[in-house]
Amino acid sequence: MTEPLQVALVTGASRGIGRAIALDLAKQKYTVLVNYKSREADAANVVAEITQAGGTAFAMCADVAKEEDVVSLFRGIKQKFGELHALVNNAGITDDGFLMMMSSQKWDKVIAANLRSVFLCCREGMKLMARRNKGVIVNLSSTSGLTGQDGQLNYSASKGGIITFTKGLAREAAKNSIRANVVCPGFIDTEMTKQIPRELLLKYIEMIPLRRLGTPEEVAALVSFLVSDKAAYITGKSFVIDGGLTPI
Amino acid sequence: MTLSYEETERLAIQRMELNRRIKAVLIERLGLDMSLDHLTDDQSLFGRGLGLDSIDALELVVGVEDMFNVSIYDGDMEVFGSVNKLADYIIDQLGGVPVL
Repeated sequence: MTEPLQVALVTGASRGIGRAIALDLAKQKYTVLVNYKSREADAANVVAEITQAGGTAFAMCADVAKEEDVVSLFRGIKQKFGELHALVNNAGITDDGFLMMMSSQKWDKVIAANLRSVFLCCREGMKLMARRNKGVIVNLSSTSGLTGQDGQLNYSASKGGIITFTKGLAREAAKNSIRANVVCPGFIDTEMTKQIPRELLLKYIEMIPLRRLGTPEEVAALVSFLVSDKAAYITGKSFVIDGGLTPI
Repeated sequence: MTLSYEETERLAIQRMELNRRIKAVLIERLGLDMSLDHLTDDQSLFGRGLGLDSIDALELVVGVEDMFNVSIYDGDMEVFGSVNKLADYIIDQLGGVPVL
């Protein structure tokens, strides 16, 4: 007997942590929807890697900061698959700068890409999950959202907002048997951390008790656990994965 | 332009079916122990009418979106005033009476 299809959408899955999450969920037998905004070739590579390993994946283009894109994305998922079992909101950007010189555009851009996207995707994703009264949402925040990071207050605010948003979301979504949790990565070896000047990055690594950057695969393993039935009694919580960096 | 009798009858039948489907969504999503015939088209759904509340409205949002691909946001809450108001909203969003 064929097992029913379990569909998981990962936003910003063309590279980095999102890519690792997509690959790991595919290993857990999810049909993975690899969302990307502009990196079509990278998204296609993720789909190819999943397919070659015997899994199922589809690339889905949408700018998740834009309402019309998100509504269209989820309508498409409903038409093609009928339902959604897991939503991982990973898409996010940084555009760092000190507050006194931060333009409104720079602020709005990061808030839209990181927080508005989570609002829009959770709203549309919940409607799809609520049809079957079942689903899981994992939102990627950051240790920056817990502690506040000088030089990136826009990013910190967006990631901090994700944490409290998800606490409330878990309460709203529980009546439809939908769980929602947050993962807060610290310094992970991705293109985003490669943008940090080397001397500064080495200083950060010195502050990490485990004395190294985390890997996208390690974050993906935590996300997969939270998506799985092994986490069936966990909702509304934030999980820090940072090598011991954050004193929380 | 005056519609022909046949056209008027066709639209009326489609509207009746739309209202019937909306009542079916209400009863199914909210687990109401009543038949479709006992829900009138202009009966108030909230407060003193059917007695639904804001949590019930969320279930209706899911049901309406699922069946008609029409989204309802908090600025549109007056559409839950009655089955007819909800039908009018769906027709407005879809640009015509849906053929169901």
